[in-house]
Amino acid sequence: MVATPISPTLPRRDEHARAQLRAAANRAAPTVLAGDRLLTVPGLIGELLPAGGIRRGSTVALDGPPGAGSTTVAFLLAAATTSVGEWAAVVDPDGTLGARAAAEMGVALERCAIVRRVTPDRWSTVVGALLDGVSLVAAAVPPALRPGDARRLTARARERATVLVALGPWPAEATFRLQAVGRDWSGLTTGGGLLAPDVVDVRVEGKGVRAHARAG
Amino acid sequence: MIAARIHADAIGVDDVRGRPLIVRERIGSRDLVRAASSEARAAGVTRGMRRREAEARCPEAVCVDADEANEARTFEVVARAIEVFTPRVVLERPGRCEFSTRGPSRYFGGDGALAEQIRAGVAAALGPDGDDVRVGIADGVFVARLAARRSVVVAPGGSAEFVAPWPVSVLDDDDLAGLLVRLGLPTLGSVAALASDAVLARFGSEGRRIHELSRGIDPGPSVFVAPPPDLVERTELDPPAERVDIAAFAAKELADRLLERLAERGLACTRVLVVAETEHGERLTRCWRHTRSEYGDALTPGVLAERVRWQLDAWINTGETTAGITVLTLIPDEVVPADGRQLGFWGGDQVAHQRADRALARVQGILGYEAVTTAVVQGGRTAAEQVRFVPWGEPREPERPLATGTEVAAWPGALPPPFPARVFDPPLPAELVDARGDAVAVNGRGEQSRAPAHVRCRALPAGGGAVRAWAGPWAHDVRWWDPHAYHRCARWQLVVSADEAQRSGARGSHDDVACIVVVEGGRAGVEAIYD
Repeated sequence: MVATPISPTLPRRDEHARAQLRAAANRAAPTVLAGDRLLTVPGLIGELLPAGGIRRGSTVALDGPPGAGSTTVAFLLAAATTSVGEWAAVVDPDGTLGARAAAEMGVALERCAIVRRVTPDRWSTVVGALLDGVSLVAAAVPPALRPGDARRLTARARERATVLVALGPWPAEATFRLQAVGRDWSGLTTGGGLLAPDVVDVRVEGKGVRAHARAG
Repeated sequence: MIAARIHADAIGVDDVRGRPLIVRERIGSRDLVRAASSEARAAGVTRGMRRREAEARCPEAVCVDADEANEARTFEVVARAIEVFTPRVVLERPGRCEFSTRGPSRYFGGDGALAEQIRAGVAAALGPDGDDVRVGIADGVFVARLAARRSVVVAPGGSAEFVAPWPVSVLDDDDLAGLLVRLGLPTLGSVAALASDAVLARFGSEGRRIHELSRGIDPGPSVFVAPPPDLVERTELDPPAERVDIAAFAAKELADRLLERLAERGLACTRVLVVAETEHGERLTRCWRHTRSEYGDALTPGVLAERVRWQLDAWINTGETTAGITVLTLIPDEVVPADGRQLGFWGGDQVAHQRADRALARVQGILGYEAVTTAVVQGGRTAAEQVRFVPWGEPREPERPLATGTEVAAWPGALPPPFPARVFDPPLPAELVDARGDAVAVNGRGEQSRAPAHVRCRALPAGGGAVRAWAGPWAHDVRWWDPHAYHRCARWQLVVSADEAQRSGARGSHDDVACIVVVEGGRAGVEAIYD
């Protein structure tokens, strides 16, 4: 048996490869250091938010009429959570979530639990249990949610350092209120073409945020 | 060591007696034979074969779905019958158990006599189902397993000769078996003929293992560690559990705790003793082994909890317990150093995973097993077909993989990205009408009667509106080869503007909604919305 000589070119001085390795390490390393409690949101939507992300433990009320893009924004927030190795959960009582679209927007589906068949009377219990276990919970708000229950969940999210994204009218205070106001569709003509992806217009209310911007 | 194995395919289906029987199971996307009766095996059906192939070989066979709880319940009868002969019966899965035979065979007059008596005892216990009980005795567990397939007794020292003609596929490792066949080593005998150091050099420690197995030497687990005595996990059930699901819920927690504590010490468990005590003071014990198999390498909490559940089901439903279970104990009987646990490369995510796992298991307890899912993207044409929701805790495998090996499945007619964020399955009823107010229809050639002009549906803002832009129709002949499932439908991609009169004003300038509308059998429906 012949011993393989150790390559004299090691260690490699390939700047490009090193830069890629550093980028991979930054992407995959646990982002929560002891003092760092921010969930960084990449892309245009992160630019709307103070410090480029959402502070852990805050509640985000996300609303908008169907088709305006609120689900897309929720997917982007879930993608920001799962892409750094953390867990997200989506409460989807109607079972209408388009998981293919979520995957397209960068959600790691294996770290994104989708909870279906949630009855309105168990909604608060389920969301509360999820807040204990994952880093971000996006939950479609049932029509008759009591403000008291909503406030309790806000407090629980703050205590567990979990981001709660409420999809729909949220009857309590929230750190941010995001309102998806729609988008211009292009690519489709009368009788031909195909829909092209477009940015979503989002209006943000909250402390220290610019009022209105576009996100995609 | 001398071990024996029993293989009994006892299935509680009455009307199929006398006909060949195939029990199928789904492992991920594959539909495989889990067990076959002797008539089916005579026709060439073997365990692990694809169901379609098995049905081709034995077309008159009855095919039933695997019911593991039922199998475990039936197999408990077998375990009890063998306990008459020897106290330490180790179960591996329903249908297969093993025990050491040194003592019993001396008492009952030799290996052959012991095998015959055990077969008669088990057959009597099973009644009319017991015509296919096979007992094999050999040196070592691996050889005994093969001997049990043919129901023979291998003389001491005769293992190498016995295993030589078996194909390499019995090593339970498809990739390795395929490689060995390509290397011109179709049988265990041809592997055994190689020099031991050559096999070790080519295949590493795995090679040493297969070489020893091929020579009829059963190495067993490489290193045994005496189980630390304080690792016994015990829980008291108050009120006593009389139903399986309540006891099984406690068992799940117990299994989690046991394996977590073993993992802290860098140990993995290969054999575990399940002990239950009832209100009437009965004490029931059963030993389960987990070996490397097609179900995965390590004994995971899910696998262990499943086995405990089978056992409890068997005890409770065969009347062995006369009262509720009060104490449940899990004792690790055989532990080995854990070598297969891969920590997250950057650290940290294992803790997050466990935290999420606990929370999701709790939500499953509240809403039911099927309510907590993760999504898997798979092949399909419509947005609903392209996703499979897998209950939390089950293997995430698609029904129709996007790619098999390097071959990417083509789904002609599927819409390209962007994908819709809201999918309605089944589609929500809608009205798709042309400029004159008539419903848009599609003729046999897939052409629309007139261009769509208005769509109305409750899922759209303001209940629908005028069609501003559209593409389609794309006609689909769905499952045209299957007369029962065949149907035709046509899809449009639409951009809808809310009606002028109903416009709320709050939405500003972008009030267009993009959606997919499907027309089938004259009825329109909104299938998805780009939200």
